[in-house]
Amino acid sequence: METLLYIALFAPLVSSMFSALFTTTPKKTFVGVIASLLIFTSFVSTSLLLASIVINGNESVHVEMMTWMATGNLYIPFGFIVDKVSVTMMMVVTLVSTIVHIYSIGYMDHDKSFNRFFAWLSAFVFSMMVLVMSDNYAGLFIGWEGVGLCSWGLIGFWFHKESATWAANEAFIMNRIADLGMLIGIFLVYWNTGTLQYEGAFEVFKTLDPATLTWIGIFLFIGAMGKSAQFPLHTWLADAMEGPTPVSALIHAATMVTAGVYLVIRSNELYSLIPNVGLFIASLGAFVALFAASMALVNRDMKRIIAYSTLSQLGYMFAAAGLGAYWVALFHLVAHAFFKALLFLGAGNVMHAMHDELDPFKMGGLKKVMKWTWIMMTIASLALAGIFPFAGFFSKDTILEAAFAEHHFVIYGVLLFTAGLTAFYSFRLVALIFHGEERYKIFGISPHEAYRFMLVAMSPLLILAMIAGVLQEPFFHMIEEILSAHEYHIHSHTTLWIMLVGTQVFVALAILYAYKKYANAFIKVPDGTSAIENSFVYKFLYNQYYIPYFYEEYLVKPYRELSDIFWNKVDMKILDASVDGIAGIIYGTGEKTRAMQSGNLSVMLRWMVVGFVVLLSLAVVFGLTARYSENITVIFSGLGAM
Amino acid sequence: MLDHILSILIFFPAIAAVFGFMIQKDSIRAYGISVATIEFGLSLWLWFTFDGNVSGMQFMENLPLVPSFGVNYILGVDGISLFIIVLAAFFTMIGIASLTETPNEKNMIITILFLQMTMAGVFAALDAIVFYVFWELSLVPMLYIIGAWGGPLRIYASIKFFLYTFAGSLVMLVGMLFMAYFFYQATGTWSFALLDWYRLILPETLQLWLFAAFFIGFAIKVPMFPFHTWLPYAHGQAPTIGSVILAAILLKMGTYAFIRFSLPLFPDASAAFMVPIAVITIIMIIYTAMIAYAQKDVKQVVAYSSISHMGVIILGTFALNVEGITGSIFLMIAHGVVSGALFLLVGVIYDRRHTKLMSEFGGLAHIMPRYATIFGIMLMASVGMPLTINFVGEFLSLLGFYQQSHILTLLAGTAIIVGAIYMLSAYKKMFFGDVTKEENKNLPDINKRELVALIPLSVIAIWLGIYPKPILEPINNSVEAVVRLMHNKAQSELAKERIPNLVKERASVIKKTVIEEEVH
Repeated sequence: METLLYIALFAPLVSSMFSALFTTTPKKTFVGVIASLLIFTSFVSTSLLLASIVINGNESVHVEMMTWMATGNLYIPFGFIVDKVSVTMMMVVTLVSTIVHIYSIGYMDHDKSFNRFFAWLSAFVFSMMVLVMSDNYAGLFIGWEGVGLCSWGLIGFWFHKESATWAANEAFIMNRIADLGMLIGIFLVYWNTGTLQYEGAFEVFKTLDPATLTWIGIFLFIGAMGKSAQFPLHTWLADAMEGPTPVSALIHAATMVTAGVYLVIRSNELYSLIPNVGLFIASLGAFVALFAASMALVNRDMKRIIAYSTLSQLGYMFAAAGLGAYWVALFHLVAHAFFKALLFLGAGNVMHAMHDELDPFKMGGLKKVMKWTWIMMTIASLALAGIFPFAGFFSKDTILEAAFAEHHFVIYGVLLFTAGLTAFYSFRLVALIFHGEERYKIFGISPHEAYRFMLVAMSPLLILAMIAGVLQEPFFHMIEEILSAHEYHIHSHTTLWIMLVGTQVFVALAILYAYKKYANAFIKVPDGTSAIENSFVYKFLYNQYYIPYFYEEYLVKPYRELSDIFWNKVDMKILDASVDGIAGIIYGTGEKTRAMQSGNLSVMLRWMVVGFVVLLSLAVVFGLTARYSENITVIFSGLGAM
Repeated sequence: MLDHILSILIFFPAIAAVFGFMIQKDSIRAYGISVATIEFGLSLWLWFTFDGNVSGMQFMENLPLVPSFGVNYILGVDGISLFIIVLAAFFTMIGIASLTETPNEKNMIITILFLQMTMAGVFAALDAIVFYVFWELSLVPMLYIIGAWGGPLRIYASIKFFLYTFAGSLVMLVGMLFMAYFFYQATGTWSFALLDWYRLILPETLQLWLFAAFFIGFAIKVPMFPFHTWLPYAHGQAPTIGSVILAAILLKMGTYAFIRFSLPLFPDASAAFMVPIAVITIIMIIYTAMIAYAQKDVKQVVAYSSISHMGVIILGTFALNVEGITGSIFLMIAHGVVSGALFLLVGVIYDRRHTKLMSEFGGLAHIMPRYATIFGIMLMASVGMPLTINFVGEFLSLLGFYQQSHILTLLAGTAIIVGAIYMLSAYKKMFFGDVTKEENKNLPDINKRELVALIPLSVIAIWLGIYPKPILEPINNSVEAVVRLMHNKAQSELAKERIPNLVKERASVIKKTVIEEEVH
């Protein structure tokens, strides 16, 4: 078992280091193949671990590899644990990354940095595995920063593009802001429990006072907000779409961005002690779900629309986790990983076909040439919209039920409304890309379907997006012990059925409306003249509520200007100038007084007289002081000085 | 030989340097490399014979110099100083090995060997006067390196460096004399031996004054805000080798001296000054990081980043607990490795283009991928990526200080944000984008001689990030001794409270920190 654990963990690292050997050499296909095989090995080991945990009823596999840091009372090992929660995440990570690796062999075919791509991608998988498998907060933080680093390297993969490197830095720095919160959370855990191991810390949490726990919960959640791009740290995710599309599928949809959700689920023993923080998380989640969906409504960038939908779905997960429905959040995380990765890879096919064109208004009618991609993206969108019997139906509906059952009707209402928006913008995208007139012909593009093996690689995701719902019951039974799960049952069956059918009808109507509006022959490439494009709401949403603008104008620019002032004005003009000034005074005094020592006898005599007078007057003063010293003491003591 | 290994470590390079005058110009490089390698080998030998489980001084040497005034030639190492000595020998070795073509190469190498003597001396000395002598002597070779091989403003920069630090050291010397005088008053004998001074418990008012006197000397050396303005000039004008040694080793003298002198001698004053010093370090961290962000010259970015990192080191030192102090000592090593490597990397591009302005570059990752990779590794180490050497030190320093203050640590923790900002933007300016300048199109990638220095540094930066134990353990043991001493000596309530009692703490559960107190 331990061997399997180590294989699952380190195969991606080997893959990354192997690929890194070839970074400076021209493209070699075998690098991609071997990397994919190694990631697949990791997937197989994870499957075996899952099997042994499920079938043999093994509690968990826990290993301690070696000490990392030990000083004072602090003891942090490299410890890894495979329990039911982490094995679920590991399955998602290894499965999606295997598929993305194979897919990338085709997608990055013509890229001259093919080998470097695989080095980064596998490094990401390794970091993600560390994040998921660690048995302590410090180990989690290693993975946490590691995925941030790989995300930086992959968003900025095409580093000749200014926009790509800008987005990479933005993502890194914004995540760092959140990581500070996470770090403080870790410090709080250590100084209050004396350990960073989950097991030990959770044990002590039960004895701590709620105020401390609240602080721990808040600071850890700030870390989660950065990685999972929750408001107000969300802007990096949409900009991160500058990276290659397989990266978006793996990192910015399926795995890394869900790390925040994983953190909350992992710390469920903490968050279930502080329901107030949980409610805040849930409210923020519901807000982000709606907020992100609204931005997706009007966007004209295919990848950004999918990114907003990711953001919105992360909001759903947080809503569930915040309400204490940890297993529901985890299940939605899994299901979402499948259909969202599928959606992104499909978008990758479209981008390839359209020569990196991203505006769906410039596409249209692609279903004729890209039949399989069309089918896959449609099914992924159905799953995303939550249509029965696809994956999203089971996971999303359970979140709605949980919100309803917990009597948080506002959250329920927001999430329900967002479900309609989700359906609308997803099918707006599908309709614009695959239906209607073939608008791409104006731009002289001749699209083609992706390589056969890329489609085959995507097929497991397709199947899972369709049938993952069946897994809900077994998943629940597997996870219920560890996540203290309870099934959410609405008491009355009638209510339940009304809710189910109502939701389905609502969502279906949204889909039909989207088709009606965008799948017709009258869609034109917008040129900024139509009334709707000039309406305030459209502009407001299209500019992402002016939040990026606000950040640029009121945070980035002042920071830059203040830096300049600190350097040019404060450091050079005040601090350094006063140092030089003091030196200058001393030097100047010497320079001036040098004239006294001219060697001229009459001058010297004059100075001698001056000196004599000064000495004499000093003597007089001292003499008088000595004589009247008693009186002076009295005077001084009267003044309180002596 | 082991009995005198410290003396050998100190004087071998100096004697070799004297003989160096007789060596012919063509063979001086080989001579320098061999001397430095032997020196490094000796330092490794010291490390391997060093017993990591002993917390006290080892390899002690004692030779009376001026017995009537208690001035003795006392040497010794513990976990605190050992690794800085090894690091100094290491940097001298790779510094000479990677030295590019310089005019007067012979003088340069001899100067560096003299510098090595003073560096080993400062960290091995256990007598205040001997310490002071090496401390001041280290200025001379550095003055010479900046003044003779520096850039256009070299005379101004070197004199500023010399006079500024010298002025601070004089105040420190006065402090030392007073300290010895108080020792004389208390015991009736003169002594400058540090271990004797450790036994002396001073009244708190005296401690405050003496702490201030030492502080000025150390703070200028570190350099701490607002005494830091000499450093950008020194770095800006110094040749690569000068910057490397200045950043990697010489700055550590100040931070090391805080732990060697200020903390154990003046525990009450250290506890009393904790908050003001923490405020200064927070200013250092944020303010200099912002200045680094505004720089146009990549070397200045690294120079200001050094000050910012030194802020974290001082903060860890004044956490006054084992975690924090251990972290700060580890961060000294880490910062030595990383900033040394970064200065070497800046030197690589300077040798090729004779400019350090970032606007002159851009797109270098296309032309020099290996250079970009190593720079990237060091960049990530510098911003404190976990599993690199800096993270361990930064994490422990901040973790340690968190016990003392929540809000100050939160502010100081912005180091991880502001650090990422200036480093990533500098990297973006230099390496990303398209190659716009014609001169950059045919730059050769990093060559073998440069790799000799950079590969070992990269390996260390990652190895000690993953497995810091060999260094952390001896440091930890010595630090525990220091903290125990401080707690025992502390008289004021404040100091007793701030400096943890290790004996008690081992037995019971850790003291709970209460965050509300500070918030309300």
